[in-house]
Amino acid sequence: MRKSFLIALTACLLCAPVRDAAAAGKLNVVATTTLFADLVRQVGGERVSVKHVAQPKFNIHFIQPRPSDVKNVRNADLFVFYGLDIEAWADPLLEAAGKPDLFRGGARNLDLSAGIRLLEVPSGPLSRSMGDMHLFGNPHYQMNPENARIMAANIAAKLKEIDSAGAETYGRNLADFLSKLDAKIAEWKALCLHCSGKEIVSYHKDILYFADFLGLTVEQYFEPKPGIPPTPKHLSLLESYIKEKNVKAIVMPAYYSRSGPDVISARTGSKAVIICQNPGEVEGTGDFFSFFDYNFKTIAEALR
Amino acid sequence: MKRFLTTVVLCVLCALAEAPRAHAGEIEVLSAQVKELSTLVQDLSLTVQNQQREIALLKGRTPPPFTTSGAGPASGARSLQGRWNPDIGVVADTVFKLDSPREDAEGADRVSVREAELVFGSAVDPYSRLDATISFSDFEEAGLEEAHYTHFGLPWNMTGRVGRFKPNVGKAIPVHRDSLDTVDEPLVIQRYFGLEGYNKSGADLKMPIDLPWAMTHEASLGLLEGGNGEDGTLFGETRRHPTGYSHLKNYVDLNDTTGLELGVSHLAGSRDDDATFEVNVIGVDGTVIWRFANQRYFKLQNEVFNVNRAESFVEGADAGTGDLIYEDVDDNRHLWGGYLLADLRFHPQWATGFRFDRVMIVDAPAEDPHSGDTGYTGYLTFYQSEFARWRAQFSHFDLSNGGDDNQVLIQGTFAIGEHKHKLT
Repeated sequence: MRKSFLIALTACLLCAPVRDAAAAGKLNVVATTTLFADLVRQVGGERVSVKHVAQPKFNIHFIQPRPSDVKNVRNADLFVFYGLDIEAWADPLLEAAGKPDLFRGGARNLDLSAGIRLLEVPSGPLSRSMGDMHLFGNPHYQMNPENARIMAANIAAKLKEIDSAGAETYGRNLADFLSKLDAKIAEWKALCLHCSGKEIVSYHKDILYFADFLGLTVEQYFEPKPGIPPTPKHLSLLESYIKEKNVKAIVMPAYYSRSGPDVISARTGSKAVIICQNPGEVEGTGDFFSFFDYNFKTIAEALR
Repeated sequence: MKRFLTTVVLCVLCALAEAPRAHAGEIEVLSAQVKELSTLVQDLSLTVQNQQREIALLKGRTPPPFTTSGAGPASGARSLQGRWNPDIGVVADTVFKLDSPREDAEGADRVSVREAELVFGSAVDPYSRLDATISFSDFEEAGLEEAHYTHFGLPWNMTGRVGRFKPNVGKAIPVHRDSLDTVDEPLVIQRYFGLEGYNKSGADLKMPIDLPWAMTHEASLGLLEGGNGEDGTLFGETRRHPTGYSHLKNYVDLNDTTGLELGVSHLAGSRDDDATFEVNVIGVDGTVIWRFANQRYFKLQNEVFNVNRAESFVEGADAGTGDLIYEDVDDNRHLWGGYLLADLRFHPQWATGFRFDRVMIVDAPAEDPHSGDTGYTGYLTFYQSEFARWRAQFSHFDLSNGGDDNQVLIQGTFAIGEHKHKLT
C-alpha cells in the first residue's frame, strides 16, 4: 500500500514538469473573459495556451481574482482585457502579478477596446448619483459580433508582434475566422430580420451593442440607474410601461436574480429570456459562435 | 405722422430684439449638427482604420497603429487636463457605538467619524507606484496610515515596498479596517498588534514560488520599525529596535468555485530597550471560500498567533560601575490568541456572519498568567450600493479583569472617488 502510494506520488511529480514542457513553446495568454479567451484561441490556434479570469456565471464587474489567477497572469506572455473601467480588479490583479510589461500600456497588454466605436460616451460632468456610470462609455462592446472583426484583428496584430515566427499562422487563422464570421453575421441577420425596430426591456445597460446590431430599441431597464437594484415602485412603473408599449421581451444575463423579471413577465405576458454576456454562461454556449447562435436564436424566438 | 414714426421705431426695436433670439436658435441647431458630424467623422475614421488594419493583416503586413482609441472621452487638450493627477478617493467610516462600560471612551455611546481616509495612488513610472492613505478622525489627530513606494519586476519576479504599510502577515492585518467583514479588528489583532491594526514603516519583499503543481505559493519577508499599533502590547514601545517578519501564503483551487488558502507567519521583535528579539510570534491562518453564485459566497476564516515572550531579562545594575545588566532567568511565557470567522453573503446586497475570539493577555497579572479575553460577535451587513454599506453588529466580551462588555455598533461606510477593487 505504502509502496504504491510512493510510486503514484513520484509519478505525479514527474508528470507535472512533463505537462509543463508540453505547454512550453506556446504563448501563455490570460484573458479576462471567456469570450476574449475564445477569440485568442480562434486566432492563435495551436500556438497559444489560453486561460481566463472571470467565470462566465458571475458578473464581470464583481469578480474577485484568486491567487491562482495572479499566478496565471505572472506566467503569461500576454494579458487581454476590455481596457475600459468594467474590470475594476484588473489593475490590482496585474500589480499583484508584478510584471510591468503586462500593465496597462505595456508591450504585452492588449486593450481590446482600441478601434471600437463606443456607445454612450459621457460628454458632460459625471456623478455617482447617476448610478454606476462608466467613464469611457458603455463597456459591453463584445455584444456586437461586428466588433469581433476589430478585436480579432487586434489580437492577430499583437500575437504577430510578440511571436513573429507564428505570423503566417495568425494571418491564416484570422482570415478563416473573418470569413466564418461574415457567413455567420449574414445568417444571424436573416434569423433576426423580424426583430428590427422592435422594443425590448433589459435588466442592465449591457445590451446596447446587441440592440444596435439588430436595430432593437431599448428605452427602459429593470435597474432604475445602472447598478442600482430595482425598487417596488420602479417595477410597478415598468409593468405599466411594458403593457402600454406591448413590449414582447425582457432580457437579462443569467447571473441576475430572475424574481423581478419573472413577476413582471407573468403579469404582462412579455417573455423574460437570458441573453448571455459571455460564452459558458448557459449550457451549450461554450465558444464565440455557439454563444452568439444561442443569443440570436433566443431573441428571435422571443420577438416572433 | 408722429404716431406712424413711433410705430416704425417700435417695429425696428422689436425686430432688433428678436434677432439675437433667432440667431441663438440657429446656433443651437448648427452646434448640434457640428456635434453629429464630428461623431460621424470619428466613426468613419475608426471604420477606415479598422479596414486598413484588417487588409494589412490579411496581406501579411504590419498593421498601422490606431490614431484614435475606443477608450476615452472626446480628445483635445481640455480632456487631457488633470490626467497627471493621482487617483484620489475618500472613505468615510462612521460608527454609532453603544457600550456597557460607562467610561467616556473613544467613540462610545455616540455617533463618531471613526475614520475618514484620504487615499492617493498613482504610477510613478512604468516600474513602480506610490500609494498614500491619510486618516482623519473626530477623536484623534490626523495621521499617516500608509505611504509606500512599490517597485514591480525585481529579479525573481519580486515586488518590493518601502515606506509605511500594512505587512503581509496573516489575513486581517493586510486589510484596511473599513474593508473587514466586522466593524472592529479581531480581538487578537486589537490586543497584540493595535486597535486599528498594524501599520509600520519599513521595507519588504514579496516573491512568488512557482512549483510544478497547481498550488500557488508566495513568500514575503520584511523589516519594520519596532513598537505596536495603538494600544498593542506584543512588542515594546521602542521603535528603533526593528521587527522582522516573514509570511508564506499557499493557495489551491479545490474546484471552479472553491479555494483554500493556508498561511504561516513569523514575527520577531523586541519587548524592551535592549536590541534582542525576545518576542517571537508564529501565526497560522486558514481560509476557505466558496462562491456558490454571483456575488454570493460563504467564507470560513481562522487565524491563530502563538507568542513566545522571553521574560528572561531582569533589569539590574552593576554594584561597582552602576551599568545596567540583564540577567537570564529563563522564564519564557507562551501566549496565544486567535479567532474564527464565518461570513455568508447570501444575497448581492446582504451578508451575515459570526466571529469567535479568544486571546491571552500579554500584561496578565502574575497570579493569573493564563487569563484572557473571549468575544462573541454577530453582524448583518447591507450593501446599499457598491459605494455605500451599512452594518449592525452585537458583541459580547468576557474580559480577563472579570467584567463583561456588551457593544452594539452601527457602521456606515461610504466611498467617493477612485474606484478599484483591491485583491484580498
